Amino acid sequence: MSDKIKAMFEDFVAGRVGRRELLRDAARFGIGASAAGMLLNAAQTRALAADYDWKAHQGKALKVLLNKHPYADAMIADIESFKNLTGMSVTWDIFPEDVYFDKVTAALSSHSTEYDAFMTGAYQTWQYGPAGWLVDLDEYLKNPAKLAPNYDWDGILAGLRSSTAWSGKPGDALGGPGAKQWCLPWGFEVNNVSYNQRIFDKVGVHMPKNLPDMLEVAAKITKDAGGPYGIGVRGSRSWATIHPGFLSGYTNYGGKDFEVRGGKLKAAMNSPQSKEFTKLWVEMIQKSGPKNWATYTWYQVGTDLGAGASGMIYDADILGYFMDGGDNKERGHLAYGAFAANPNETAPTANVWIWSLAMSNFSKNKDAAWDFIQWATGTDHLLFGARKMDMVNPVRTKIWEDPEFKEKISKYPGYLEQYTATAPKARIYFTPQPLFFNLTTDWAAALQQMVAKQVPVDEGLDKLAASIDRQLKSAGLG
Amino acid sequence: MARSDVRAAGLPRFLRAFALVLVLIFFLFPIAWIFLMSFQSNEQILRIPPHLLFTPTLMNYRALISGKLITAAGSLDLPFMRNLGNSALLSAASVALSLLLGVPAAYAFARFRFRLGENIAFTLLSFRFAPPLLVLLPLSLYFQELGLANTYVGLIWVYQLICLPLILWIVRSYFEDLSPDVEYAYRVDGHSWWRAFTRIAIPLAGPGIAAAGLLAFIFAWNNFVFALILASADKQPVTVGALAFVTASGIQYGQIAAAIVLSILPTLALALYAQRWLVEGLSLGAVKG
Repeated sequence: MSDKIKAMFEDFVAGRVGRRELLRDAARFGIGASAAGMLLNAAQTRALAADYDWKAHQGKALKVLLNKHPYADAMIADIESFKNLTGMSVTWDIFPEDVYFDKVTAALSSHSTEYDAFMTGAYQTWQYGPAGWLVDLDEYLKNPAKLAPNYDWDGILAGLRSSTAWSGKPGDALGGPGAKQWCLPWGFEVNNVSYNQRIFDKVGVHMPKNLPDMLEVAAKITKDAGGPYGIGVRGSRSWATIHPGFLSGYTNYGGKDFEVRGGKLKAAMNSPQSKEFTKLWVEMIQKSGPKNWATYTWYQVGTDLGAGASGMIYDADILGYFMDGGDNKERGHLAYGAFAANPNETAPTANVWIWSLAMSNFSKNKDAAWDFIQWATGTDHLLFGARKMDMVNPVRTKIWEDPEFKEKISKYPGYLEQYTATAPKARIYFTPQPLFFNLTTDWAAALQQMVAKQVPVDEGLDKLAASIDRQLKSAGLG
Repeated sequence: MARSDVRAAGLPRFLRAFALVLVLIFFLFPIAWIFLMSFQSNEQILRIPPHLLFTPTLMNYRALISGKLITAAGSLDLPFMRNLGNSALLSAASVALSLLLGVPAAYAFARFRFRLGENIAFTLLSFRFAPPLLVLLPLSLYFQELGLANTYVGLIWVYQLICLPLILWIVRSYFEDLSPDVEYAYRVDGHSWWRAFTRIAIPLAGPGIAAAGLLAFIFAWNNFVFALILASADKQPVTVGALAFVTASGIQYGQIAAAIVLSILPTLALALYAQRWLVEGLSLGAVKG
């Protein structure tokens, strides 16, 4: 009987039978949910091991550096699969997000051999990669001897693959010629609207169609909802204020951060498109944003949505998703929508944040670390994370089509639809360059001045562009 | 006449009490509010407007002490008590080592004149001014070579950058305040300088040493960056550990409040216990001249 059961789960993993058939047959053998989970996991491990020598580094010990995040929780919950598959041991260090990148930067800049692989965002690799701290993962992806045949690199969304690759030359397009794959996408977020359906119904408004409409909807919520303010967006003096909703809408209006001419960068924050969008954005915050907008980060934007203090947010879709659970007061009241800010555009141009995995150039176990990275970003682990844990958003198209994941995500109204509408144009819209963090922080500071009415928008953007051009010139980039 | 005298005397007293209450409210309100928050769930804390009346819960303390937080979203591992233990170990051991090294050194600087003495003392003091990150990055390279990276011994050594200059300079000023005549008299009786130091100088400078030790303990306890850069997650102090409640999926305000209450308890208890020496010691140092 045990051979039959094994064969049954192996057939499912190979795609020869569907989920319904598997569940029906498992029930016939009296297999409970937890036993079925274990058997499925074992079958997946055997299937993975069949066509690649996952045991090549058996007995080796890896150490990874992780940020405290639901993606990391999913990895740890499934780590036994990796250990069984490879015979390697894995330990990890988890640090809170507030200090995580300080730890990563310190470990890499001191050439520490302690960590073999680590979580990173794509923006950070613009510093780490050209500094020689990371391994170009193309060395593995383009080597058939080192890549598991079923890894399915092309199964990862194209915009994410290109967004995590860069030549290191300021202004070169992400994923363009000569680009090095500094990290592999692992989980990501698109920036769209998450809104409180209860408040929307109470006030009698709808999901905004574009930015001018968003201004009206937000103003009505602020006026009529009896407490909550209209829209939550980030406002702290940080790069993180620019990258979510702001840059997504800005791009939709045709705005760019830089013009690249002859390999030199020129600030484009004062273009007519930029001015048109920024005026509306600033007006929206002044009329319907949070009172302490200039201190708002991911945490405040999310907390207010979850607590019913704001009517909607224009931020990461997964932020809305996280606020739709736990002990948040508004859980079960949230809904999601794709947002194209420009009334003349039909499709959103969402800037993305991509949690990725990178390999330290100072690792003493590079090949073993590669096996870890390809397992963690492979279909089976990501499927586990998406089905059983909070690993949204999956980076693989195949997982979005998985019936079990689709069923799970369908409980979040509009979530799947906003993803489907946004995915084709979802990518990083910043121009990669080494002064990224400094210049986007200046951009956020300029926004703060405009919102505080210390400077008119036109003048503020002209001053910002002039200041950025000066910095680019002195760094030899402009 | 007598009644108006009472009134005249009563009014300033009333005003004084009123001013005192205002000052107390101003300074203690944040702490009191955090204390109240530590007995509320996240949902209670985030109510708009905030309520002063609530049904208290011990769930935050239970979660911190048991190391597991069970919420509707799932289970979260909390290594907070380990962080607390790390802070206690690192701070106590660092201060103990600094006292062991710093008190004799302070005595030497106070009592003896030797070549480059002042230069050495100022060099030690300058450690306090160096930006930590400037020191830590090169140090982490050396620590890897020496096998001290990610060890308690290595961290206690680095914590000397905080504790040793503080203890050395504070205690030195106390020794300088003490008249050397008592020690000379003791030595004339045939005792060694070491016995004079341990039997006479240390007991007389006791309050100063206690004050310096306590201050060094507080500085070490509040340190954030040394362990973050030089050690793994399992050796992090409470200052880093408390940030674990700020996660991508939300901020656990209740646990943060409970963590603050728990993390100030050891220093608070120590400060209350040593308050008498602390005030005496600090004021003695302050009027040196």
